[in-house]
Amino acid sequence: MNEHHTRRPDDRLASLLHDAAPTAFDARFAGRVQARLIEARGQTLPRALEHHFVRIVPLAAAAALLLAAFNWWDARGTAKSTLDAALNLPQVSVAAAYSAASLFDTTATRSGSP
Amino acid sequence: MSLSTSDAELIARARAGDDRAFGEIVERYEGAVAATAIGMLGDSDEADDVGQETFIRFHRAIGTYRGDSSLKTFLVHIAMNLSLNALRRRRRVFARFVSRDETEIDAPSPSLGPDGEVDASELRAFIRAAVGRLNEKHRAVVVLRMFQECSTRETAAILGVPEGTVLSRLSRALQELERHLAPYVKQGAEAPVPETAR
Repeated sequence: MNEHHTRRPDDRLASLLHDAAPTAFDARFAGRVQARLIEARGQTLPRALEHHFVRIVPLAAAAALLLAAFNWWDARGTAKSTLDAALNLPQVSVAAAYSAASLFDTTATRSGSP
Repeated sequence: MSLSTSDAELIARARAGDDRAFGEIVERYEGAVAATAIGMLGDSDEADDVGQETFIRFHRAIGTYRGDSSLKTFLVHIAMNLSLNALRRRRRVFARFVSRDETEIDAPSPSLGPDGEVDASELRAFIRAAVGRLNEKHRAVVVLRMFQECSTRETAAILGVPEGTVLSRLSRALQELERHLAPYVKQGAEAPVPETAR
């Protein structure tokens, strides 16, 4: 500390500073903290869903594309259209769908032809 | 809830989801956090936000708080880091939009009351403004050592600097404050004798 000063002014300065220390925020500070905590808790579920959604959607899209490509490759020679091939739609006519065989035997639907 | 409830007990209850226990912690340490945030940032909404954020961060980390330091020191540490971050943000904004002259924190000189004494609340505001004029590093040391009465070791740990640095910054900061506050420092040192005693 500066040698020109005696100990008393130093103590006085320390005392002034100590007395000037802020002691509280504006009224109802604890209430504002509690309100923010409640707000933070309320945001937890939507944030978690958003977090998972952002990661799951690209994976799901990639899996769907892969499956469509596989289906198209598998049925490229037999399907009527590219869409039928990609979605792996069975070839079936209305008459075949409502035939007794297809109503009572599920395998008939797949083997039915126009 | 009684004042005798220990910090450890309050923390254990807050960990278990007791909001009243956490509220008690907030009320118990509001003063320490306020002294840090307002001391560093001035009495502003920004300081209030830093105060709230301090307790929110503590609530998030309450499961990992091991009690290596006192709860007060832990909270003051968070508040100081958040205050320094806020000052950095403020500096970036000010550097872009505001000239340096406009950043000075000013308070009117305290006026004398009818009894010849300085108005206490004006004096406190004047002293806080003087602390606010210190540079960030010096201000942080004054806030921790003089407002919070942290030890030199605690101050060094909170600021992440050697103890010698704390002492030298404190010495320079106090010299600067003595220059700004000279009339009030001398007044208190020399003339506290009441008229009736003479």
